[in-house]
Amino acid sequence: MRRLLPLLLSTSFRLLLWCLLTADLSRLNLLIGVAVALALPRARSRPLPLRELLRALWLSLVAVPRAYGEALRLMVASDLEERMVREPVTDRTIPLLMFLDVFRITLTPFTIALGLEPDGQHYRVHALLPRRQTLRPPAEETP
Amino acid sequence: MGLAAISETASLLLLGIGLVFWFWGTWPLLETSSYARKLHALSVADTLGSALMLLGLLLRIPRQWPLLTLGLLALMLWNTIFGYVLATCSQPRRRPTGLSRNPQEEPR
Amino acid sequence: MTVLLWGMVLALVIPIAVACRQQDVWHRLAAFSSIASKVALIILVVSVVRSDWMLGLVGVIVLSAGNAGMLLLANLLREER
Repeated sequence: MRRLLPLLLSTSFRLLLWCLLTADLSRLNLLIGVAVALALPRARSRPLPLRELLRALWLSLVAVPRAYGEALRLMVASDLEERMVREPVTDRTIPLLMFLDVFRITLTPFTIALGLEPDGQHYRVHALLPRRQTLRPPAEETP
Repeated sequence: MGLAAISETASLLLLGIGLVFWFWGTWPLLETSSYARKLHALSVADTLGSALMLLGLLLRIPRQWPLLTLGLLALMLWNTIFGYVLATCSQPRRRPTGLSRNPQEEPR
Repeated sequence: MTVLLWGMVLALVIPIAVACRQQDVWHRLAAFSSIASKVALIILVVSVVRSDWMLGLVGVIVLSAGNAGMLLLANLLREER
């Protein structure tokens, strides 16, 4: 299952894009979509841990409403300070998880990921915060 | 009739809020603040504001929802990742040697 | 709706002005990315105003192609320096 997951994931993602693009759920069109999704080249990937993946997906979904909240707070805040903070990396070996991490960090207007620390275990995150307010503890720890 | 009017009003409201986001987030480009601060503001304007506008359009033409959803998804992904790439690439290149402990990591 | 469209075009002028005025390449890139997404949104709104979905299709395609080219350009510029 864990070996099959990357294949399943990329294929279903491509199929989803295909269906959205063509807006057509007839059988022939679905068949073409599956064929195209399987024919496109895939990146070689190691087995994905399902639970980590689901949690990362969930966190990046939750980040969307949080981003709006932060945007509103950023608009009313007058006194802002910039600083660098560090945020732990979920799993360095799996590109998809790192991508989701970066997406989650950068989507929220208070923070932008700037790449990895030299130790490879933390992101450098540029944060823009209203003064006299500490950053919430990061939502996850490295296992 | 009621439902149509409500969705019409909601769509106008969403579009208006998106426009406000656009102006608020694009204005800092004209000022002389730090680059990262401009990028923070641009992420508000271009990602979140445009997403609100797309939602407003979605209320207006619900018939075309698949393509609009695709646009929403693509907008979020591309703009976010582009903000990250700009922020990262505009940094001076850091050698992964470990001796570049910069002092500005500590909160002031 | 027309007022909204004018507002959007006005918002579009800001990054264009920045891109013409700035010397620093990173500021210009940020302005260009802003222009790209704004233009795509304007295309979509125009398509709704004129109720011509073919235009909207173009807008969606522009959005989903995104600024992939600029992403590459940013990476190249980092290699340059």
